[in-house]
Amino acid sequence: MTLADTVAEVDTAAAKAQLRREGFAIIPGVLGAAACADVRRRLWRAAEESERRGAPTRNIGIDPNEHNVRVFGLLELDPVFVELIQHPLGIELVTSLLGPGFLISNFTANIALPGSQSMHPHSDQSIVVPEPWLQPWSINIIWCLTDVHADNGATLYLPMSHQIGWAKDVPADPRAGMRPFEAPAGSIIAMDGRLWHTSGANVTRDEERALLFGYYSRDFIRPQTNWNATLSPATIASLSPQMHAWLGLGPTANINLAAPLAIPRPAGQGTAP
Amino acid sequence: MSLAESHAEAAALPAPTRDLEQGLRDIRDYGLAIVPDVLKGDTLKRTREALYRAAEADRARGREQKFALDYAHDETNQRVWNVLSRDPVFEDLAFHRLAVENVKAVLGWPALLGNISANITGPGGGEMVLHADQIFVPEPWSAEPQGLNVAWCLDDFTEANGATRFVPGSHRLNRAPRPEDSAAATVAMEAPAGAAVVFESRLWHKTGVNTTADQRRAGVFAWYTRPIYRTQENWFLSLRPEIRQFATEEMLVLLGYKTQGLGLVNGASPA
Repeated sequence: MTLADTVAEVDTAAAKAQLRREGFAIIPGVLGAAACADVRRRLWRAAEESERRGAPTRNIGIDPNEHNVRVFGLLELDPVFVELIQHPLGIELVTSLLGPGFLISNFTANIALPGSQSMHPHSDQSIVVPEPWLQPWSINIIWCLTDVHADNGATLYLPMSHQIGWAKDVPADPRAGMRPFEAPAGSIIAMDGRLWHTSGANVTRDEERALLFGYYSRDFIRPQTNWNATLSPATIASLSPQMHAWLGLGPTANINLAAPLAIPRPAGQGTAP
Repeated sequence: MSLAESHAEAAALPAPTRDLEQGLRDIRDYGLAIVPDVLKGDTLKRTREALYRAAEADRARGREQKFALDYAHDETNQRVWNVLSRDPVFEDLAFHRLAVENVKAVLGWPALLGNISANITGPGGGEMVLHADQIFVPEPWSAEPQGLNVAWCLDDFTEANGATRFVPGSHRLNRAPRPEDSAAATVAMEAPAGAAVVFESRLWHKTGVNTTADQRRAGVFAWYTRPIYRTQENWFLSLRPEIRQFATEEMLVLLGYKTQGLGLVNGASPA
């Protein structure tokens, strides 16, 4: 597979500690240069295929103008994305923040072309779940397929804002004090769902900024994507039991917390679904 | 507030009412409202027959499934899952005007139908583990209830035949019951057949013990949540196709086909 030249030797302990402490961690060199270029090529092919199938990639109502290219359905469009969404390093960071009970909520690309502008500042958690936001219930694993810096539309974040637990404590202008996530191509950026951020504007003349957003949330939260309705039978059949579980493709949900309350059963009797 | 204080404030059941506004006040004050005479005459009879027919079919075919909050030794009580797909009469419960009005008022809109299943107690049937319906949400809980249960009484619900029991005032504690709360004093949700008991998701409750020699009592429980939670039943796997095919806009919202922000396909609503 294309990720063969993935660079190893990552200090995951330091990354996980920083993610806990600061609400993010940047890990360079997860994809080597060749893998990065290959994934980027496949991303553009996926964008074209998405358009061909009738799923638009521009002006979809999230971004201020047509210079952002958003690609949904990555898992349906190229197996390399199936590999990336379950990359062991990404899963390790997700598990360290959310615990083992998480789902893959979404996997999309956002390519910022010159002229793309910034969206509204937000935290991913605050726009979905009611306050208080005292625990991380979601995380982004952002794959940088190009160098990312302030001028080409790096994601802007408000330092330590993952500690904001209540709406009343959100600054009136969250943009003030925001800083860019700068990282070389091949990095991943792990971002706590409570961290306030926005996309940056791409003010370069000719640089493309390509990011993949793997979004994971606690398993009681409804995923952003309805995978049952999104994935084709062929794709579903090709996925492992672990991926089926992470995508929440099964028949039931939100009954597992009942287990600790239940009375222990005699040996040999299973638990209810 | 201690449990003893909350118990003293709301020791009794609210009086049955057909008035939506009074019912909403009852849900706020008591955690539940009792709405009498919603299903009547032939409608009640047909709904009841459909449920017992489904229950009998499950038992005859060995398709009964236990629930983690029921006691394992209980061979008398019976659950019937996803009744929505068993007979069209249950669509009339899941999407009943009364249910939707309460959901919109308590949870807001859009909301989701999380599940609709039946719980039938039988003679000698035991109780259930005390719980609140939103226990899957980690604490601390936000200030508002995250779900609503509409219990349709297809038989009279009495203290003797295992009416659902609740801990008065527990919805105001805004937390799940802990092991030491399992002996908290409970009151039976007594209501006549055809009534709906509407209770919010923080109210601690359990199935009651059925001490009768010969009575079964059937309740259909429709569970609704705010749209940010996963539904217990994955409708995209289990829904009868005709329900989707002939659904109103409101039904499509409750089943997750008409949606914004979450549950999307290619970044847009599935329907």
